[in-house]
Amino acid sequence: MFFCEVSRIIVTSDETTGSGPAPLLDLRCIVKVYQTPAGDLFALKDIDLQVYPGEFVAVVGKSGAGKSTLINVITGIDRPTSGEIIIGGTPIHSLKEDQLARWRGKNLGVVFQFFQLLPNLNLIENITIAMDVCNTYPVREHEKRALALLDQVGIAEHGYKVPAKISGGQQQRVAIARALANDPPVIVADEPTGNLDERTAGEIFDLFENLVEQGRTLLVVTHDREIAARATRQVEIADGKLQGIGVRG
Amino acid sequence: MKLRTRWRKIIKDIWGNKTRSLLVILSIAVGVAAIGMINNTMTMLRRDLFGAHSRGNPASVSLYISPFDTDLAGAVEAMREVETVQAHRTLSARLIRADGAPAENITLDIVPGFDKVAINRFSIERGAEIPGIRKILLERCSADGLGIDIGDTIIIETEGKQRYSLTVSGIVHDLYLIPYNILGDATGYVSMDTLRWMGEQAYYSRLDVIVAENEGDREHALAVAAQARDRVIETSGYQVYRIAIPGINSDPGEHWGQSQINGFVLVLQVMSVLAIFLSGGLVVNSISAILSQQIRQIGILRSIGAVRSQLVGMYVANVLVLSVAGLAMGLPLGMLGAWWLTNFAAGYLNFDVTAITPDPTVTILQVAVGLVMPIVVAFFPIVSGTRISVYDAIYQQGLAGDRQEGGIDGLLAKIRNLHPPVMLSLRNTFRKKARLAFTLITLTLAGAMFMSVFSTRASLTGQINQIARYVAFDASLSVTPGLTRASVERTAMRIPGVTVAEGWVSSGGILMRADGSEGDEIQVYGIPYNSVTIDPLLIDGRWLQADDTNGVVINDDFLEHAPETAVGSSITVKIADQNRTYEIVGIVSKHLSGSRVYMTYDTFSKATGRSNQADMVRVRLDADKIGSSAEQKRLAAEIEDRFQDAGMSQSSSQTQDEIFGSFTGPFDIILMVLVIMAGLLAVVGGLSLAGTMGMNVMERTREIGVLRAVGANNQAVRQVVVIEGVVVGLISWLLAVAVSGPAGVALAGAVVYAVFKAPVNFQYSFEGLAIWLVVIVLIGVFSSLAPARSAARLTVREVLDYE
Repeated sequence: MFFCEVSRIIVTSDETTGSGPAPLLDLRCIVKVYQTPAGDLFALKDIDLQVYPGEFVAVVGKSGAGKSTLINVITGIDRPTSGEIIIGGTPIHSLKEDQLARWRGKNLGVVFQFFQLLPNLNLIENITIAMDVCNTYPVREHEKRALALLDQVGIAEHGYKVPAKISGGQQQRVAIARALANDPPVIVADEPTGNLDERTAGEIFDLFENLVEQGRTLLVVTHDREIAARATRQVEIADGKLQGIGVRG
Repeated sequence: MKLRTRWRKIIKDIWGNKTRSLLVILSIAVGVAAIGMINNTMTMLRRDLFGAHSRGNPASVSLYISPFDTDLAGAVEAMREVETVQAHRTLSARLIRADGAPAENITLDIVPGFDKVAINRFSIERGAEIPGIRKILLERCSADGLGIDIGDTIIIETEGKQRYSLTVSGIVHDLYLIPYNILGDATGYVSMDTLRWMGEQAYYSRLDVIVAENEGDREHALAVAAQARDRVIETSGYQVYRIAIPGINSDPGEHWGQSQINGFVLVLQVMSVLAIFLSGGLVVNSISAILSQQIRQIGILRSIGAVRSQLVGMYVANVLVLSVAGLAMGLPLGMLGAWWLTNFAAGYLNFDVTAITPDPTVTILQVAVGLVMPIVVAFFPIVSGTRISVYDAIYQQGLAGDRQEGGIDGLLAKIRNLHPPVMLSLRNTFRKKARLAFTLITLTLAGAMFMSVFSTRASLTGQINQIARYVAFDASLSVTPGLTRASVERTAMRIPGVTVAEGWVSSGGILMRADGSEGDEIQVYGIPYNSVTIDPLLIDGRWLQADDTNGVVINDDFLEHAPETAVGSSITVKIADQNRTYEIVGIVSKHLSGSRVYMTYDTFSKATGRSNQADMVRVRLDADKIGSSAEQKRLAAEIEDRFQDAGMSQSSSQTQDEIFGSFTGPFDIILMVLVIMAGLLAVVGGLSLAGTMGMNVMERTREIGVLRAVGANNQAVRQVVVIEGVVVGLISWLLAVAVSGPAGVALAGAVVYAVFKAPVNFQYSFEGLAIWLVVIVLIGVFSSLAPARSAARLTVREVLDYE
């Protein structure tokens, strides 16, 4: 097992060292081990990470470094082998599957690399279903709110189209709008521009910056250092360990 | 009100998967419709056939008596054990067709008062209520079948070859007769005055009786009839020839075909339960396919906050929508089927359908099967399908689990030198064992049922052929009593082409019980020991020999009434008022025409005192084989003419074809319905396989992409899928072969018992086995084609999308 305290010292940012605000996202000694026929594979090794309200953190690293695993344990999509994840004061590592799903739906917006929209639903419905399953807004307000969110990401005019009828960049905008559906304080995105061209990727990051300006906290995984440079803080991961911190260019 | 998005998703999912949704809807509809058709038909049969039959005061028992008058009827009616009686006179005659068509047999029925019939009340459908002199009322089936209507004149030829013109003055509906379209004999009603005008003597010959108590009790009805015979009829100087419960193995008061109809309906009910089982299976299969297809969507929904109970609710709602649609389709379809089947039965069995109305109990049952069954059977796949983690749902879809375990997997791994696509197909077949097992169960059931239907047909044919051994003649004719056997045989042999002519004698007898009381009626035959017109199938002992003076052969039917009887044991038979004891030397197979005792001429002569006489003549054109239908018909006409011209017979001849023609008809209908049901099961089985193959392809998208990436062309990809489908089909065929034996015995047994009230002589149909092999291979190919096409359409790019 790794030594958590050493790792914590390396990755802690300047802002965490003082007596500033409490972290919104607090990862403590996170270890993720995959059991394979070839033996145990340590995907995450004693990760400590704190993200504060209003931060825009980019996690960068090479392919296989553990970026997606890190995002998956933060969102509760995957479980850590050991360690604690506290988001907004909730120890999500101790939640049961349904509790986790309900918590995630209300408190965390997830944006996937491949958008993961429901193909049979139109764009508005792809957003309203998030409100529906979480019962966060009255049903009569769902469509109005979905249109407002689509407007916010700049594709309101496509609201009644199905995902297959719009471009990849537009689909990712819908995924971002869906992540905002229940007004969560934290947005987590896994390679959100990995499937997009450079110009569209830039537009998506413009959206992210707008969200941060509105007071949301963002954690984005990307392999593109140029794009990551637009974040307020960069965290590098290599071989399952956080290597250091960075700040916006 | 705004519909929640999750419900809109359900509707869109259903609409987006039209084929699969339609499959589930149809499978539910088939089950619901089958229940509705069969059970509503049964309800309407109970109301309009059995109910109407019961309202017309059906006879408990009939006594066939030497000529009597209404005084005797009154005396029997006065018995405390008897509720009411009805005297009848029946006269066999020929109906001569004016258009030159062959003459038809007709039975003339005469009752004391047409306006006060007490038992087996028929109704006047049209025309006169009472037949006047030289008038006749015709039963409506006979009138329809013969194309005769009120006002037409018909010619009746009596046994003395005298012809009389009668005018049809009314049409009667008689529910108590086996109709013309089944029996082939017409029925008319005339007055006693008309009978006198036709030169016949005025008397009655049959007395129908309704017993005062225990009306449905067979033993009681027979006991009351025996009491009437012993206490009233025979003490008054009349002779009772026969006592019989009306109908075909019916109980007193039952419709003549009630047990056969109930048996047939039971078989259909069993098949409808099977259809429900299979449609339930198809629901499970389809829901599993939908869940399999939507694994990633389940992951997405969970990633945005959906809890498991919501997902379960969504998919249960999905099934519910399909169930409601299936129910909505199945209810009217079932009613339509019931309407068709009831009307068909009404036409066939000669009853009126008063109204086509659904039975509320049946509707409740249909709703339960249509709504509850799919949800119950789909609940487990839904619960287990929604248990998947978000991670697995989003990141692991498209690559089916591929853990090679021992057993079959190990065995398959050892197979070498096969073409790679074939090898891949073989190994793919056994990857999802639970799903494979489920598909195999469905296909095996369908196959076993299909083969069972063929075995049932083979058994029925075998049974009929077995019976044919006992009427191994081209034609037979009853001759005038008292004629010598030699003269009868000589006259028959004079007919050109006849090579075999045998005079047989017969007599009714009563099997005496050990305590000296009278038992069941039996038929005793005196025949040549080396008869050619009977080909006995011995099941025990031996056939008659020339020196058998006390030895007799009985048929298997006999054992039903005296099960303790065996070869070597003795029986006491009352013949011509004398009790005689015989030794059983052999038992022959079933005749399905009642208990028979065969003995040599000499033995019969000694028992009856009728030396060297004949009651009938049985002839053949060829000693080695039975003639064609046309030859039989020609010979029957010739023998009839020859004997009637010689004054040696006033009866109608009968061919072997005619005997079987009358009872193979109902079999054909039963078999047709069974084949249709088996076909439906095959369709459901095929749909199930198609669903499974679709799921397999969906789950292996990534592998198929890999195959394409390494150079597999469309044909190779299609081949992998189609071979897998065929392999599944062939495995199910092997299993069906194993199951088809017992299943065939059960089905054939049920059908034969329904029709004959006799156990089946089962014959396995290898023809059915071969046909199902072809059908299952075709099902395997065709049900895999669509999934194979989908697989071949997948591009490497699409596969990458799964990463």
